[in-house]
Amino acid sequence: METVGDSVPNGTAPPRTTLDIVKERFKEDEVILSIFDAYQIIGHEYTNRLLALVSSASGGTFAIIAFSYLRTPPLTTVNELIINKVFAIDSSFQIRQDSMGSINTQQFDLSTAEDGPFKYYYFPTESSNYEDFHAKITSCQRSMAQYDPEAVLNFRWLNDYRQIGEVKQELKKRESEYIVYEDIHIFCATWNVNNKPCGDGENPLRSWLGHTAQPPDIYAIGLQELYAPAKAMAYEMVKTTQMGGIEKTWIDKIMASLHPDAKYEVLGTQRLVATMLTVIVRQQIRPQITRCRLKTVARGVFNALGNKGGVGISLQLNEGNLCFINSHLAAHMANVEERNADYNAIVQGMTFDDGRTISDHDHIFWVGDLNYRIQEPPGQQRPGPMSDAQTYELLLQYDQLRQEMQRGKCFEGYTEGDIKFRPTYKYDPGTDTYDSSEKQRAPAYCDRVLWKGTRIEQLAYNSIMEIRQSDHKPVYAVFRVKIKTRDAVKYKRVQEEVLKAVDKRENDNQPQINVEKTVIDFGSVRFNEPVTQNFTVFNNCPLPVDFSFKEKDIHAICEPWLHVDPRHDSLLIDSARSIRLKMHVSVRTIAGLLRKIRQSDNFDILILHVENGRDIFITVTGDYQPSCFGLSMETMCRTDRPLGEYTQEQIKQLINDDSPEYRVTMPREFFLLIDFLYKQGPKQEGAFPSYDSRQSLGSQFNLLRDWLDSWSDEPFPVNAETAAQALLLLLDLPEQALLEPFVEDLLTCSNKSRAMDYISLLSPPKRNVFMHLCMFLRAGIESQYYDLQQVASIFGRILLRSGECTAWMDYHSRCVQFMRLFIDNDMESLGNGNDGAGSGDRTAGLQA
Amino acid sequence: MSKVWSVVNKMHERIDYLIEKCPNMTAAPYNYNYIFKYIIIGDMGVGKSCLLHQFTEKKFMANCPHTIGVEFGTRIIEVDDKKIKLQIWDTAGQERFRAVTRSYYRGAAGALMVYDITRRSTYNHLSSWLTDTRNLTNPSTVIFLIGNKSDLESTREVTYEEAKEFADENGLMFLEASAMTGQNVEEAFLETARKIYQNIQEGRLDLNASESGVQHRPSQPSRTSLSSEATGVKDQCSC
Repeated sequence: METVGDSVPNGTAPPRTTLDIVKERFKEDEVILSIFDAYQIIGHEYTNRLLALVSSASGGTFAIIAFSYLRTPPLTTVNELIINKVFAIDSSFQIRQDSMGSINTQQFDLSTAEDGPFKYYYFPTESSNYEDFHAKITSCQRSMAQYDPEAVLNFRWLNDYRQIGEVKQELKKRESEYIVYEDIHIFCATWNVNNKPCGDGENPLRSWLGHTAQPPDIYAIGLQELYAPAKAMAYEMVKTTQMGGIEKTWIDKIMASLHPDAKYEVLGTQRLVATMLTVIVRQQIRPQITRCRLKTVARGVFNALGNKGGVGISLQLNEGNLCFINSHLAAHMANVEERNADYNAIVQGMTFDDGRTISDHDHIFWVGDLNYRIQEPPGQQRPGPMSDAQTYELLLQYDQLRQEMQRGKCFEGYTEGDIKFRPTYKYDPGTDTYDSSEKQRAPAYCDRVLWKGTRIEQLAYNSIMEIRQSDHKPVYAVFRVKIKTRDAVKYKRVQEEVLKAVDKRENDNQPQINVEKTVIDFGSVRFNEPVTQNFTVFNNCPLPVDFSFKEKDIHAICEPWLHVDPRHDSLLIDSARSIRLKMHVSVRTIAGLLRKIRQSDNFDILILHVENGRDIFITVTGDYQPSCFGLSMETMCRTDRPLGEYTQEQIKQLINDDSPEYRVTMPREFFLLIDFLYKQGPKQEGAFPSYDSRQSLGSQFNLLRDWLDSWSDEPFPVNAETAAQALLLLLDLPEQALLEPFVEDLLTCSNKSRAMDYISLLSPPKRNVFMHLCMFLRAGIESQYYDLQQVASIFGRILLRSGECTAWMDYHSRCVQFMRLFIDNDMESLGNGNDGAGSGDRTAGLQA
Repeated sequence: MSKVWSVVNKMHERIDYLIEKCPNMTAAPYNYNYIFKYIIIGDMGVGKSCLLHQFTEKKFMANCPHTIGVEFGTRIIEVDDKKIKLQIWDTAGQERFRAVTRSYYRGAAGALMVYDITRRSTYNHLSSWLTDTRNLTNPSTVIFLIGNKSDLESTREVTYEEAKEFADENGLMFLEASAMTGQNVEEAFLETARKIYQNIQEGRLDLNASESGVQHRPSQPSRTSLSSEATGVKDQCSC
């Protein structure tokens, strides 16, 4: 699996193996045992994965971390690895070769209790040896199995890989660059107060708590057997105010007795019946404490009453996690096993509600009346009042706690300092004399302070003889702890670097596609002649890319005369796709295109959008070759040469021209069509061709278009049907209806002379076209070539097609009615009998 | 309105929770508290893309090709201990793209309006860019005027004072900068972010509005108040 990263660009850098690169992803105390190339099977897709089998020294456990690649392998930098899946190798972890009906044996599943199975496929190569990978995993599983099945495996180190963001992960990895260690003095104390009050005076405990050379930063003070009225032993009752008052009295006295050279505040106090732990911190370090959680574990009668048990406080100071436990374990010489059981129960039960257990802390301090006794060496029960070190040593040989710790029965991993003080139990209250009562209890080191964790140094460990109200003597220990702390300046620098790297990675890995060209030129584009252009988009970035044409207006990615295919697609790495762009200046789109041409020098700009990346603008241009279709009557009357000879730019000027001067009275194209149809009249007997604007125009139509747009001398090229169609289009395609802007007025006119008032207000070309058209139709109807009703209906709707009136209920009949004013001879003679001569003139005009 | 926002917040918390609980999603963590959207606008050739490049890469891009479309860059910055992800849209300056680029103004929290101090025409067009910006963004959008190419003192056509007056009259923030030397580039982007953040703090920016250009990601619940946790636990009985 030693794939050499072969894409190192300059020859000077030593080639790094994939393993070298993957290593950068992990912390110093984490070792990569093996890496393995595989594909994860998701549905029908196989996706590149890199599996790393990793062991953690701090956790003492193993895991497989599956990475996905940001770029196509081979790997060149660690930034290209994204954590995809984390498998803790615990008792539920399974690696199974897939044999379930698969044709392929090169598959395996990984699963844990929470997850899976996830299917992987591998391609056997010399460097990628599944047997080797599998064997290493199996050996990790075996070494895990050696642990007590009950033991909780520590997979906390994996949280750095599965729960936190990229930036945090990177920061964690570079911890060594900004972590410094700050000395903190911790004063741990324990005292079984034997239900006695705390004593009189302002600071009765000063000799115990306030005597160190320099003020401690943290006090953790554990008390046992706080005064509890016998009736109130039941837990619920003791919780109430009576006990709260006692708790407060004690804390007040404690606060008054602390080191006088610093200001303190209580961080937290936790009490289980008569066992109380209070953590007090210097005010100046209080802001550095970011977390504090409390917890109790009850033991004693029925393991629930809480007369015995433990209380704990967990806190985070800067980057260090500290845990303090105060416990009162089972009493009496013989109950060693009970004490061990109490200890284990507290360890099991002490899970703070953020999920942290005692062992999840960097620094653990355990104080309390642990009640371990001195296993009677005959004749040695009572050390003299001035015992020397030898006496303590002798006593401690028989100390149950030390014995049990040696046997691995309790306090595994904990350390205790040398004991250089007299047994702290049991004294006659008020004296330094050991129990003189009938019971004659043997002296013992019941009250202890132990610690576990790194960078802890004990500075003092002693008892206080002169505090005498209890049958126990108070005990204290002072520690210097090096707390992990962020150096603010260094941290900021590293953080900036990390952020920069993350930004760079994001910017560098932006999906990108290239387009063959950003200007698509259709060249010459003509009315009713669809043209297509293809262009290629290709993905030359290292990621699969999704692209789409972005909607610019509501639901439209392009102007209606364009059609894009495909509108969206996915491009695999190094693949290309041809985009087909079709332009069709049709009956439906001509008006819009002419409007566009008036304002712009392009047909459209498309937005090619790359998912999570940049947008590319694609400009669509070409030369629209002008034609009479779609132009207004006014524009056509301004031409001085065939429309086919105009350029797009010239037609743009022509369209934008709104002077009232015209070269001809009516468009030549219109006149020619009417002329032809008039002459064809007899052949068109009975019907004007029906007209549907959506129907496609045949090739015949284009012949006519060219004939009209070139002022050709050739004979009329098409039949009457096509000519009629062209006539209708000529009237229907311009943006403005012929009778605009008087459509509404005209539809409400009841007689011709009233209507004529409006008609006379139309621009001369429109007016002339209208009158000429009506004469032609009237003549046709008169000769019974056309059906009056049909013609009135068709032309009415075209000439009066705009505005809100089209929604009127009687719009259609009003159109017909209006047309009849002008084309129905009966109506004509009825309404305006004196117009006969005029109409005769104009009919003559048709024949010219 | 505040009720709606609390629901949105809850939703975000839920998403954060799901992301924490769902290891498959580790690839998409939130590295930031806010996202601010910026647009960079101004005439062709004033150096918009170079400013973006200088800001994200701390490098000058010589021979920068014309932007035909909208480029996109991100950078995470810190304002007042909050991580803010700037999502910067660098638009094409060519006149013919003017209409298309208008669709990108929407939802910008910050607009960097750039002119070239050595070409007066680019300065003269500012009022038209400003009109677009005012019409197409919301009233709280922070507009920052940048006079780019401040390194080209010898061919200067627009004085600092003149532009400063224009900026003051129109209530714009203003700096002369150089994408070439990097001078004031960082400042312009960061000042804009600070101003936006200040607007949020002072309640001038409605985070609920879809067009505020700001997305909020509540930080993960790692540092909740100590006292509430402590009392919360105190009341629990362990037996």
